Amino acid sequence: MFDDRRLLHHLDWLLLTAVLLLTVVGLAMIYSTTFNPLKPEGLQVGPQFIRQGYAVVVGLFALAVCLMIDYRRLCENSLAIYVIVALLLIYVLFFGSSGGGARRWISISGFNLQPSEFMKIALALALATFFAENGRGASNNGDLLVGGLFIGTAFILIAREPDLGSAVTLLPIAFGIMLLAGLRLKLLGILLAVAVVAAPIAWTFALKDYQKSRIATFLDPEQDSQGAGYQQIQARVTAGSGGLTGKGFRQGTQGQYKFLPVAHNDFIYSVLAEEQGFLGVLATLGLYLFVVLRSLEAARLAKDRHGAYLVVGLVSGFTFQVIYNITMSAGLAPVKGLTLPLMSYGGSSIIATLASFGLILNVRMRRFTN
Amino acid sequence: MIIPDDRSGLSFRLGALQYTIAVIFAALAVCFWYVQVLEHERFKEMAANNHQRTLALRAPRGMLFDRTGRVMVENREARNISLVRENATSVEQSMDLLSSVINVPRQDLLDILDHNRRLPSYRPLLLVPDASSEQIFSVRARNLELPHVLVEEVPTRRYPADEFAAHLFGYVGEITDQQLVRDEFKGLTSGAIVGQAGVEQTYNKLLMGQDGSRNVVVNSLGREIVEGDRHEPLMGNRLELTIDYDIQKAAKDGFDALGYNGAAVMLDPRNGEVLSLVSRPAFDPNLFAAGIDRREWARLTTDKLRPLQNRAIQGRYSPGSTFKIAVAIAALEEGLITPSFRAFCPGGATFYGRYFKCHAGGPHGSIDLRHAIEKSCNVYFYTLGNMLGIDRMHKWASALGLGEESGIDLPHEIQGIMPSSAWKKAKTGEKWYAGETISVAIGQGQVSVTPISLAIMMMTIANGGTRYTPHLVKAVDQGNGWVPYAAPPPKSVVKMKQSTIDAVHEGLWMVVNGAGTGGKMRLDGYDVGGKTGTAQVISNQGKLRARGTDRDLRDHGWVVFFAPAKHPEVAGVVFAEHSEHGSSAAPIARHMINTYFAKKEGRPVPQFPVPGAPTTLVAQQGADATRPSGTP
Repeated sequence: MFDDRRLLHHLDWLLLTAVLLLTVVGLAMIYSTTFNPLKPEGLQVGPQFIRQGYAVVVGLFALAVCLMIDYRRLCENSLAIYVIVALLLIYVLFFGSSGGGARRWISISGFNLQPSEFMKIALALALATFFAENGRGASNNGDLLVGGLFIGTAFILIAREPDLGSAVTLLPIAFGIMLLAGLRLKLLGILLAVAVVAAPIAWTFALKDYQKSRIATFLDPEQDSQGAGYQQIQARVTAGSGGLTGKGFRQGTQGQYKFLPVAHNDFIYSVLAEEQGFLGVLATLGLYLFVVLRSLEAARLAKDRHGAYLVVGLVSGFTFQVIYNITMSAGLAPVKGLTLPLMSYGGSSIIATLASFGLILNVRMRRFTN
Repeated sequence: MIIPDDRSGLSFRLGALQYTIAVIFAALAVCFWYVQVLEHERFKEMAANNHQRTLALRAPRGMLFDRTGRVMVENREARNISLVRENATSVEQSMDLLSSVINVPRQDLLDILDHNRRLPSYRPLLLVPDASSEQIFSVRARNLELPHVLVEEVPTRRYPADEFAAHLFGYVGEITDQQLVRDEFKGLTSGAIVGQAGVEQTYNKLLMGQDGSRNVVVNSLGREIVEGDRHEPLMGNRLELTIDYDIQKAAKDGFDALGYNGAAVMLDPRNGEVLSLVSRPAFDPNLFAAGIDRREWARLTTDKLRPLQNRAIQGRYSPGSTFKIAVAIAALEEGLITPSFRAFCPGGATFYGRYFKCHAGGPHGSIDLRHAIEKSCNVYFYTLGNMLGIDRMHKWASALGLGEESGIDLPHEIQGIMPSSAWKKAKTGEKWYAGETISVAIGQGQVSVTPISLAIMMMTIANGGTRYTPHLVKAVDQGNGWVPYAAPPPKSVVKMKQSTIDAVHEGLWMVVNGAGTGGKMRLDGYDVGGKTGTAQVISNQGKLRARGTDRDLRDHGWVVFFAPAKHPEVAGVVFAEHSEHGSSAAPIARHMINTYFAKKEGRPVPQFPVPGAPTTLVAQQGADATRPSGTP
């Protein structure tokens, strides 16, 4: 499949380099937060770091695979892919391994696969294909309904796990694609209005108590400074204490001494802010922004609407998660179990994210091929 | 597939998306700049508070030595069980477990928590002071389940085990809220251990030393990760007291052997040094050393015998016949009589329409001053008191220290009462009746004194008139060797004629060595002078009324003494509660004096004679004891 060597000539080496750089920074931060100096020599490196290392290798393989297969071939099979992932999600609902009161994983010989991560790609493929091929874009109400079905099914399956955080990331994917496919701005206004009306109703009927308390805590973290608000306060303390230049690699105190929970996961960026300071934050923010804008360039250059929609869908989900997680890392958003793509610890996340960059590179690389 | 017009719309929307995202990222950068650069100092401090702890290293208090260099109070390492609440998820749950592990009622632990609610949560909160080895072992064994429970080693006072000199040493305890705001405790924080009674309190500043500190880094579980700077504590200054261990013990042994409660004070009349100061019953100051249990405290404070009261300086009793010494001096110094003045004792006399009895030993017939002292003739002193009037008695008794504070360096000394017409006017608004003077002249009625004030009187008479301020510290070692501690200036110098002093000395010598009531104090070769006294607990009429109640109505016994009569080296008092007669206290005084001279001459320290043995035999034993080293 990779026989045309000219294809490599069109590969966006800059984007790939930026993505790999962020991955390496992420690995370094995981090493830093999980290194345990209290353990005997040789056992000090955290097991999470090693597992993440393996996941990155698998992710790079996935990236290569997603790069080699022509994305149009994938689009042709997008419905099948969507159905398979949806079936995996259903399987998880009934037979998945549970942790923290939720069933989110399929356990395969010690490795936990999280299908919701892959649903992001499947949904982007399905929606991109559907709106590209109906010839009318996203202006027709009937088409919007079909699109809504794709989104709704996936959303409900993931939200039922429950994993509201991951479910919510599906929305920007869909929104990005539909916006590009010609979603009328009037409709956008109506959706917003509905959201405003629905919020209090959802608060009363749909949200679970822990979800309510998270939001309440966000509005006033001090009110519950030992419980849910604790993480938000500690996140801000962690980032704030880093200052301009940071405390240095493995020199952070908030992350190292576990005052900030799940530092290697949801709060990895807080630790980066603590250890590398504002300068480190600027550098990584710049890298993320570069990755996002450069990826969107791929959409602009795409040969067809399939490619453009697919890229925008993937980038939208990625961008939403990056922005939300980084805001949360500074203690400026309610604490949600939303990881930072490319950096946070999590095998499925890093594999799915690298795979989606494989697709983005794929679209740009094949902009001249037929 | 490419639709040109579509493509331009797509490009526009992509551009809008890119700009929006760029703006959001710029906003994020501004947020981080705000949190990390503008608010950095605040968060830096909060992060430091999270993981850095300054823990106090308590300084051992200075040791106390007796005048011969013998260690009396030292320190040991006690192990305390404390709780750091800061990161404990459920304090109540920890209490449940801890309560069963160390076998302490849960409610007790919760009460301690409640009482210390305002203590910063990262500071270890003391739950069990001076825990037993079993408790320490149990807590260490359950370390994983009780990660916030610490075992700390703290230097703690060790006092002699047998309640020896408890009131003198006093005790230490956690600083109280009221003390914290006082100037003398500036710089101390709650939880500090300070002297709360006795020498521990008076000399707290010298004894306390300087607490050290160590900085540690802890993780979110409160577990120590790294130790940082460490400032070693400075031990408090060592004090050498004027107390002689053996004389102190002699007095205590005497009380124990005879089964009396009471007080004893022995001073060096040449300088006011306190050689011994005892109060019985006593308590064990070790109970306080690591923080006293509520129940123990309740037991001590509600005990009818009042073991916490230092009777030597806080008890007030009728002086009885010991007061006659002051009356004699007043009459001689006021020039009303000479030592040869005689009165006739028919066994009682009538003053102001009321008949006052002499005592069972009378009638004494025609008697002079020396013999009146020797025989303790009431009629003689009624006569002198009547001649003097209350105000002249007040003048001389006060000059000798009665009814005044001695000024000893112990806290909470109280004053006795030496009445005068002005005193009564101020107190009741009524004038003094001459009839009241007669009872006072023999130490009954309104007059009451503290044991130490009688010791002061004896010291002042013994040295010819210098009323030294009694004091307990001889030398202090602030780290560069012993330096004499400046004695306080004398309270006053009482001018007395040599003839007065000689006459009183002779009278007092006769009490012990003649036909007087102080024979049990006699110590052959040492010319002890002294006087006994009986303090009525209640009047004879009152006795009838109180019959059948469980009050102990037996009279108190006194002896005052100095020795040797020519150039006294010791002077003092023994007060024995409910011992019925002064002579019952005399063996204790004799044993103290005997111990003093035995040590001075390098003889072995004598044992208290077996009680109940005949007096003469006791004296014989004392004389035997002098022989081996006394005569070569």
